[in-house]
Amino acid sequence: MVAPGLTGPAPAKPRWRGVALVLLWAGVGVGALLLLAKSVQNSGEFSRLQPWILLLNVIGVVALTALLARKLTQLVRDYRAHVPGSRLTARTVAIFGALVVAPLLIVYLFSLQFLNRGIDSWFHVEVKQGLNDALVLSRAALDLRVREYSRHTENLAHSLVNATAEDVAQRVFEERRATAALEMAVYGAHERIIAASLENPLESIPTRPPSDLVRQVGERRAYVSLEPQAGGEYLIRTAAPFTESLTRGDDRYLVAIYEVPTQLAALSEAVQHAYSQYGELAALREPLKSSFRLTLTLVLLLAMLAAIYGAIFSAQRLVRPVQDLIEGTRAVGKGDFGTRLPLPSRDEMGFLVHSFNDMTKRLRRAREEATRSQRVVERERERLAIILARLSTGVVVVDRELTVSIANQAAGAILGTDLSAAIGRALPELTAGNERLGQFVAALVVRFGAGREEWREQLDLDGTSGRRTLMCACTPQPGADRDGYVIVFDDITMLLQAQRDAAWGEVARRLAHEIKNPLTPIQLSAELMRRRFLSSMSPQDAEVLERGTRTIVQQVETMQQMVNAFSEYARAPEMRITRFNLNQLASEVADLYRSHDPRVEIRLELDERIDGIEADRGRVRQILNNLVINALEALDGVATPRLELATRFEQAAGDARYAIVTVCDNGPGFQRELLGRVFDPYVTSKPKGTGLGLAIVKKIVEEHGGRIDADNRPEGGARIRVVLPMTDSTRSASGIRERRAELRREIV
Amino acid sequence: MAIALAACSGQAHADALDGVLEVRSAYVSMEGGVFLLHARIEYPVSPAIRDALHDGVTLTVDLDTRIERERRFWFNADVQELTLRRELDYHAVSDRYLVRDVRSGTQKSFATLEEALADLGAVDGWPVLIEPQLAPGNYRISVRAGVRRGRLPASLHALMFWTDDWHRVSEWYTWSLPD
Repeated sequence: MVAPGLTGPAPAKPRWRGVALVLLWAGVGVGALLLLAKSVQNSGEFSRLQPWILLLNVIGVVALTALLARKLTQLVRDYRAHVPGSRLTARTVAIFGALVVAPLLIVYLFSLQFLNRGIDSWFHVEVKQGLNDALVLSRAALDLRVREYSRHTENLAHSLVNATAEDVAQRVFEERRATAALEMAVYGAHERIIAASLENPLESIPTRPPSDLVRQVGERRAYVSLEPQAGGEYLIRTAAPFTESLTRGDDRYLVAIYEVPTQLAALSEAVQHAYSQYGELAALREPLKSSFRLTLTLVLLLAMLAAIYGAIFSAQRLVRPVQDLIEGTRAVGKGDFGTRLPLPSRDEMGFLVHSFNDMTKRLRRAREEATRSQRVVERERERLAIILARLSTGVVVVDRELTVSIANQAAGAILGTDLSAAIGRALPELTAGNERLGQFVAALVVRFGAGREEWREQLDLDGTSGRRTLMCACTPQPGADRDGYVIVFDDITMLLQAQRDAAWGEVARRLAHEIKNPLTPIQLSAELMRRRFLSSMSPQDAEVLERGTRTIVQQVETMQQMVNAFSEYARAPEMRITRFNLNQLASEVADLYRSHDPRVEIRLELDERIDGIEADRGRVRQILNNLVINALEALDGVATPRLELATRFEQAAGDARYAIVTVCDNGPGFQRELLGRVFDPYVTSKPKGTGLGLAIVKKIVEEHGGRIDADNRPEGGARIRVVLPMTDSTRSASGIRERRAELRREIV
Repeated sequence: MAIALAACSGQAHADALDGVLEVRSAYVSMEGGVFLLHARIEYPVSPAIRDALHDGVTLTVDLDTRIERERRFWFNADVQELTLRRELDYHAVSDRYLVRDVRSGTQKSFATLEEALADLGAVDGWPVLIEPQLAPGNYRISVRAGVRRGRLPASLHALMFWTDDWHRVSEWYTWSLPD
């Protein structure tokens, strides 16, 4: 398995991303510095931006928290799943986190404490008390004036109760000047001005009395108020009814406005200002502390989250090449040499990754080379297998325990077993039911037991289908591992048979030529002697002569028959190929011999698919006759003699069609020692007969391009099987094949 | 993080400006090509406000006016935005409540907080627009009252963003300008 992103050259994208991130952070830093500088110059601007900055920070905290949670979750999952590198990452993060968080927390707590104490120190009890005292003092000083002016106004009002209008105006004027009042006026019902005197000559109408004044005076109560003015001045407004009695019906009242002396007003205003300032600040005390706490907490959180996130990021960055290396090593371990790791940097880790990539490259090349070599070997092996398969020579490779490692088809065919299924098994395990293979194995065991590793010998193997002669060669397997043997063997039975056939042909030809010729003169001479001397001899001599010449003539005739038989065997007459019905011919032959010897039960099994066969009818009849005669002769002395004559159709590869004629009997069967030579001339176990019957049959069959074999049936009795090509074209093809096979055997 | 924030904000004040704050009525009249605003506003009165004033806190009382020209297929266009800013504080030496117009600097004093607020709540003849500023079309006038703690240093004011609950505004009181 190859980890994603491992293969291929190191991508350029992360480098650009890194540069972009650095630029972004640099931009944020410069922006923050500019904002700081600006806020020092113009706090109003900063104040305007502050909510947005705070919002940005809160968003930053939330985003960082989300990112951190994701990273931590991933880290925990990886840690539990034992993902390579996760433990190293966790340890690094824990160390970094501890190193960052501890000082941050200390600074945070210290700052918090410092701020709280600092802000509390602004509001000492003494300051507050002092301000209150100053306020009380100011009030007392002003109250003194207020009460004085109020009393004066009341006295004046009472003194004017019985005065005439002119007197009132005069008194008001005089009193205002005497008391340095700003205004003094007498009002009647509905705030009607009865008399007024103003310090400012430009003004003709006194200030309208405030509603609370009117209301209070309407209740026959004196009124006084100290009114601060915009310029830091104080006015004392006093009012008093002329009479406190509501029943007298006098609604007049006097209003006087005095100015507080400038020095007293200034002092009072200063006290007022300080008191107001202090009060405002005091009111801000707790909110200010909370604000500082929140701001500090926000900064702490931002710093802490950023630090932990940075620690995870750095740790993962540090560990990633290691993870890649682990993944890469695993991939290489699984045989994937195409793994290429991205180069993290140009440092030591980069050198390590580069070395790893170099190693995988070399491994890949080595494996490709090995694969190529293996492919060549495989190809050679396949070629060898094809050659072995096409070879008519058997080839078997075995070890010392005769365990088969290689065996071709020909070996199986020669030894009469399927050796392709025997690969990996010991040959002795396969000998059950296969006599020929058993003898082959026994021969090998004997030779290997004797320490012979290289030999070439002829082996005669007897089996139910006759003796087979193998030319067998053994040689140790070439190469370093010599614990194996290559056994090459060829079935030369046919070759030997052909040689024997040829030899017998030559014998027959010579017999026909060398012996037949003198026989006639011998016979004629013997007859001449009898005719000339028989009449002139005594009866005793004549009888001797008669017996002698008769013996000579009989033996010559016998020899004549023998020579004729040899001549028949040796001659190769021109074949007259016609198309005829083989089944019909078989029926005729069977009928002929049924009538000849009714004691023998002759069974016919004819395959209806054999409608016609292209062959020499007379010679095929001879084949059937000889086979039936051979069988009948074998059945002499058998209690229930039985003979089976069967034909069978067989379709071979291509259009090749064959007729198979089988003749079986329940006689004693062939003698084992003769089984391989039953088709040789003069090989017979019967007292009578020329010993050429089966030899002639074999010769005719081979002339027709067929083949013949003989064996003993498991239930007893002999069986001879003749395979004849049904068409002339099949015969030609099989004849060519046969000739080729013989040629190959001769070459071997 | 949540715990830390909660711990820090736990001491924040309850809403100090509880009470009714709304524009009861408003209209404009035109005199000599000048549009004058008349409005009646109700400001909240509470012991907290009284105590704060007595402690020296100054309240800034704003009356925001926004005049927009209506557009059918787009946002309304701003024609004028004005704020009538006044301050209310308590004069401890004289035991009176002062109402100060920030722009003109004029000042009035009142014996009771209610009188002072009644004075603040009655705006009469405040010029908000002159006729040449108006093109043909439909206009909407919106008025909103606001109260906040005033006269803070700018830096402190920024810091108070977290915990300052001395800041309230009323809903907009909106009507269309008659053609």
